[in-house]
Amino acid sequence: MSWWLVSFARRGPGRYLSHLDTARVVQRTFARARVPIALSQGMRPKPRLSLPLPLPVGAEGGDELAVVEVADGTPADAATLEALRAASPVGFEPFRIVDVGERRVRPQARAATYACVLDGDAGAVVAAVERYNTTKDAVRERVSPKGTRRLDLKEYAGSITATPGDGETRLEFTIRHRSDGSARPQELVDLIADWAQVEPTMRGLERLRVVWKDVPPAG
Amino acid sequence: MNESRPGFPGRSRDWVPDEVARLLARVARPGRYAGGEFNTRSKPGATPRIVLSYPDVYEIGVSNPALQILYSRINDATPAAAERSYCPWPDLADLMRVAGVPLWTLETFAPVPDCALWGFTLPHELCYTNVLEMLDLAGVPLHAAERDGEDPIVLGGGPAVANPWPLAPFFDAFFAGEVEDHVEALVVALGEESREGRLRALAAVPGVWAPGRSERPAQRQVFMGFSASEPVLRPVVPVLEAVHDRAVIEVMRGCTAGCRFCQAGMWYRPVRERPVEMVVASADRLLDETGCDEVSLLSLSSCDYSGVAEALTRIRGLRPGLRVSLPSLRIDSAAESLARFAAGQRGSLTLAPEAGTQALRDAINKGVDEQQFTEAVRATFEGGFTGLKLYFMIGLPGETDDDVLGIAGMAAEATRLAKEIGRGRARVSVSVSSYVPKAHTPFELEPFAGEETLRRRQQLVREATPRGVRVAFHDVAASVVEATLARGGPGSDRLVEEAWRRGARFDGWSERFDVRRWEEAAMVTGIVLGEPSPERASWRDAVDARLDTRFLDEELERSRAHERTDDCRDGTCAACGVCAGEVGMDLLA
Ligand code: SF4
Repeated sequence: MSWWLVSFARRGPGRYLSHLDTARVVQRTFARARVPIALSQGMRPKPRLSLPLPLPVGAEGGDELAVVEVADGTPADAATLEALRAASPVGFEPFRIVDVGERRVRPQARAATYACVLDGDAGAVVAAVERYNTTKDAVRERVSPKGTRRLDLKEYAGSITATPGDGETRLEFTIRHRSDGSARPQELVDLIADWAQVEPTMRGLERLRVVWKDVPPAG
Repeated sequence: MNESRPGFPGRSRDWVPDEVARLLARVARPGRYAGGEFNTRSKPGATPRIVLSYPDVYEIGVSNPALQILYSRINDATPAAAERSYCPWPDLADLMRVAGVPLWTLETFAPVPDCALWGFTLPHELCYTNVLEMLDLAGVPLHAAERDGEDPIVLGGGPAVANPWPLAPFFDAFFAGEVEDHVEALVVALGEESREGRLRALAAVPGVWAPGRSERPAQRQVFMGFSASEPVLRPVVPVLEAVHDRAVIEVMRGCTAGCRFCQAGMWYRPVRERPVEMVVASADRLLDETGCDEVSLLSLSSCDYSGVAEALTRIRGLRPGLRVSLPSLRIDSAAESLARFAAGQRGSLTLAPEAGTQALRDAINKGVDEQQFTEAVRATFEGGFTGLKLYFMIGLPGETDDDVLGIAGMAAEATRLAKEIGRGRARVSVSVSSYVPKAHTPFELEPFAGEETLRRRQQLVREATPRGVRVAFHDVAASVVEATLARGGPGSDRLVEEAWRRGARFDGWSERFDVRRWEEAAMVTGIVLGEPSPERASWRDAVDARLDTRFLDEELERSRAHERTDDCRDGTCAACGVCAGEVGMDLLA
């Protein structure tokens, strides 16, 4: 048994997968490539597989991570990577596997950088982004079944970059992950859209980079 | 395999067009509309372009076996490209109308109306309004008569073609029966220059009925190459959670048990079986192609497949921990089947006595006696199953209140055995559907029980069933609509269109079905909902199911006399008329 870190991109049609769907795609890709994932003990064994930082539905990700325990002595080499790539569906693109040994690793994200496009009056969106970048705090409420939580978005995302286009604006921002949680891309976009008085529907959301704790950088 | 895979880890090409992406950002489960499944085929530039559709939501339609067969055959064995499109859920449909974005295919996001042929598989009557919805969302004129050279030819197939009248004006043509032998001919027909030429060529393909064009009914086609041909080996495997998530092998086609209410049993005759060797080898390949950890042996009655025990044993041995889903068991042999090949299965099991008394079961030719039922239930709980679902129908021809009370009696007996053997852990549930007489069956001209009778009998079952047994009923109002369409003649299309114009869609979904739309449509058209019987079998003007009417009449007489007819695969031909010339049974030696 050994644990692998599998880096992959989720693109094109893959961006519409939910977290569970993405996990199922990883599992199925391994099964198709005949690389057996270890199963948990118990009445209903589950594959030992996790995606440490869920990617929102609708988002592409260029450098995502899956942690997988592989059941037999399959080497984490170029041939295995090629087999996984051949077995994967369009939209799921494994590009690196690293064998980290027998001890389970639990990668934690420190920060993630996102880009997206917001439709509507670009001038208004740019102005809203400037207001965000210069404001001291930007407190929003997060309502969930567990209750309502007040969240200062500025504590998680210091600034946003806006690139105006024709009736649309490309936004790029980095969200910090702290021990008490993190902000969601949609929460930032909702705030900007609210201030700019445009539809809060983001298009082309993409997670560009993730900085992981205890995981070697891509190289 | 991903032939056109972009480099890693660079950007892939912008897969989803902006106008579609804008819509998908605002709907529930956008993955339904984006494709990207395992084993999808990509044939850029291939012609003709054919779109295959199942008129329901993606999760229901994606695993449909008929569509999987067509998708594989067209893409892998002809120059044509087959793409898929399913019925958008109303949240997306509303947005598409506002934005003016036409229905697209999952493979290329290209508009559906740009294809040469649009094929629908038609599973049942309650999806008819979805066909109209899809035509409208694609911008294809609803009526075939209004289409011109730019528009695709719209072709219907599937079991509901047994009576195509309620959809006749919306389709250019229908295909009756099993299409495998004729895929090539259909593709070739699309090569004609003009729309008229293509329609003429299509109408000449055996099995095709073109409303207003064909001079005689289409003869249902039977694929006699079934046993020698491999099942679908590279099925599309959804990346979203779908209704069925297992590798499926069609082991047998047709069923001659002869249940008199069952349209599929009449429509898919005769029985043809695939060799065990092929089934096991296919399972091995399918596990690789799908990545599934469960195999299902598909047919109308897999327990009757001659090789079932051997196939199950050998497939289970292919991979450690592999599950092979148990085909629903025949009650008359359930105890034996459980002992032979179902040992070690857990969870819940379904048994279908269909009717509550021996007399009525004899009338519908469902050969189950009380002792067999008791033995089957006993074997179920002794075998370790903790759930038993009993499936019944009400509204069968000749049914009395006593027959209906018999359902509660059988539920009580099963509950007693659950307590005795299952020691409190075992549960019994009962599902009761309303019988709707169907075309090309012995009961095809029998009266529909009607709303009042069905509601009263549901109440009888509800009151008489022991406490602790969960009873589920089908929506009577939906059955009334189904009954109206199942035997609807020429002109019944107006009911479908008027209901759709009033907002009817996804009528098979209880949370979406609204009978008021159908009642209003009935008022406008003068069609009586749930009318007891049609005057004549108008479906025979469109489709020849190969069944001898004398056989159907005799079966009706035997039903009234509570006489059973044996399964012809056991030796005695009942002269149903299907086996003739090249067509005949094809059983394992
Ligand atoms: S013709 Fe005879 S043998 Fe053939 S399917 Fe009909 S009843 Fe069976």
